[in-house]
Amino acid sequence: MSTVATSVESLVLPSEVWARGRNRLAALALAGWVASLPGFFADPGRFAQSYLVAYLFWLTLPLGALFFLMVQHLSGAVWSVSSRRIVEAVSGVLPVAAVLYLPVALSLHRLYEWTHAEIVAADPVLRGKQVYLNPHFFLVRAAFCLVVWSLLSLVLRGWSVAQDRTGEASSRKAVVWSAAGLPLTILTVTVAAFDWVMSLEPHWYSTVFGVYLYAGGAAAAVAAVILLLLTLRRSGWLTGQVHVEHYHDYGKWLFGLIVFWAYIAFSQYMLIWYANLPEETQWFRTRTQGGWTVWALALAAGHFFVPFFALISRAAKRSLPWLGAVSVWVLLAHYLDLYWQVMPAFHREAPAWHWLDAATLVAVGASLGLAFWRQLKDVPLAPVADPRFSRSVEFHNV
Amino acid sequence: MSVEQTATMAPRVYGVAAEFQSPAELLEAVRKLRQRGYQRLDALTPFPVHGLDEALGLRRSPLGWAALAAGLTGASGALLLQWWTGAVAYPLVVGGKPYFAWQPSVPVTFELAVLLASFAAVLGMLALNGLPRFYHPASNHKRYPRVSDDGFLLIVENDGPAFDAARAAEALRAVGGQHVEVLED
Repeated sequence: MSTVATSVESLVLPSEVWARGRNRLAALALAGWVASLPGFFADPGRFAQSYLVAYLFWLTLPLGALFFLMVQHLSGAVWSVSSRRIVEAVSGVLPVAAVLYLPVALSLHRLYEWTHAEIVAADPVLRGKQVYLNPHFFLVRAAFCLVVWSLLSLVLRGWSVAQDRTGEASSRKAVVWSAAGLPLTILTVTVAAFDWVMSLEPHWYSTVFGVYLYAGGAAAAVAAVILLLLTLRRSGWLTGQVHVEHYHDYGKWLFGLIVFWAYIAFSQYMLIWYANLPEETQWFRTRTQGGWTVWALALAAGHFFVPFFALISRAAKRSLPWLGAVSVWVLLAHYLDLYWQVMPAFHREAPAWHWLDAATLVAVGASLGLAFWRQLKDVPLAPVADPRFSRSVEFHNV
Repeated sequence: MSVEQTATMAPRVYGVAAEFQSPAELLEAVRKLRQRGYQRLDALTPFPVHGLDEALGLRRSPLGWAALAAGLTGASGALLLQWWTGAVAYPLVVGGKPYFAWQPSVPVTFELAVLLASFAAVLGMLALNGLPRFYHPASNHKRYPRVSDDGFLLIVENDGPAFDAARAAEALRAVGGQHVEVLED
């Protein structure tokens, strides 16, 4: 393809363009934090709840991107090479996301009833879980998870950016780190899902919960990558390197992960429905009754039925405006999902909307957006030195 | 039709075939022939060639619709079966569950939808492409074995009384075809 610019300079964002983006994101982040802070002082309990939802929503995007990136390295995929730098920039925000965990770590007492000694003392089930569910061990596990994710994202992106300079032909380092990192990531995400979300209702347990959270996160991550690529494309970036054939494949990934999420979500629900054990069913009872009924139905429709039929045809996955609209929809559904997992633990009768939900969402989102933007400073937007790069650009669906 | 009758009939011309050396030459030849008005073309290649479907002007297969219809039939049939057996014909309380509930009905519904959709896809594929077949006129071409290795065969098919095999052969030669042969049925 003659229109494809493969020189490094033509793929680096000019510093004034980059600075404009940074200023916008910084202003948004500042507005978000300024709006959130009064809420922290006025209602620290509600702040913790809203912040946890916002944090989980944004954290699962780089985690999903990390999963996607490691799968690409391990499968030796060629098609995704030309857009890999954007995926690396999404997963590259994980070190900043680790720092943003601090408000949650400082709010354990407001979020988790098992941190209250008098409640645990009076509850034989919680007493039995005390070996695992205690604040010290909890924070050690959280730190371990956050360090593992940060390290993997730094190493994989660092290898890729170094390749731009050295032109190293072998991707062995990335493959080895992915082989070690993929199982470790899936296990640590399971730990995080059990600790940060499942233990909000410490009597309840579901062994598949980590996969459930990660399936939704991976789908949302692919949707986010599609939207970021489309945004760059609108400003004239990566138009030749990432074209309809690549979007078509991202659409297939989005479709597959939507179905996978539905499969896991339904399996979890049906097994608990069928076994009908009180300590298991209460989680779903809370989330499908009262004001949460509509929410649960909206989740099933919004996170599965609508995107399933919206993406099933080949033409849908190859239409960039349509794919972009479905990606926005999937991100909204992902937010519905996390809100529905967390909030009924505190508001058992019905959803209680609060302005802090929006303020914390903007604060965390714009901060991580800024971290994402920082990854695109002074580096080419595509890994042009990768030996598979030109084959990736010429990729064509059969 | 008796054996004697068949033997005395003149063999019908199926089309004219030529060999090309590379996917690029094949694609170029297909485009040029279609510009000259030859619309009924078929290509035999050792592997899928990118862009060949578009060049040949093939429409998208209707197979997906057959699979969808069969899948919906399977899904509704499975739901009907589970509701009728559980709630109408044999209403037994098992494990304190309702006679019919959608939750445990989903796996069977899903499986039967996939099963029938797969049947429709495989059988529909065979019906649409006419496989398996024991004979195809292209197998008379002396370079035919090459299409499972490194040869690219392009056939201009006989599309009716106006078809002129000599002119088609000339056209194939003009676009770079080698080993041009008239294929008989």
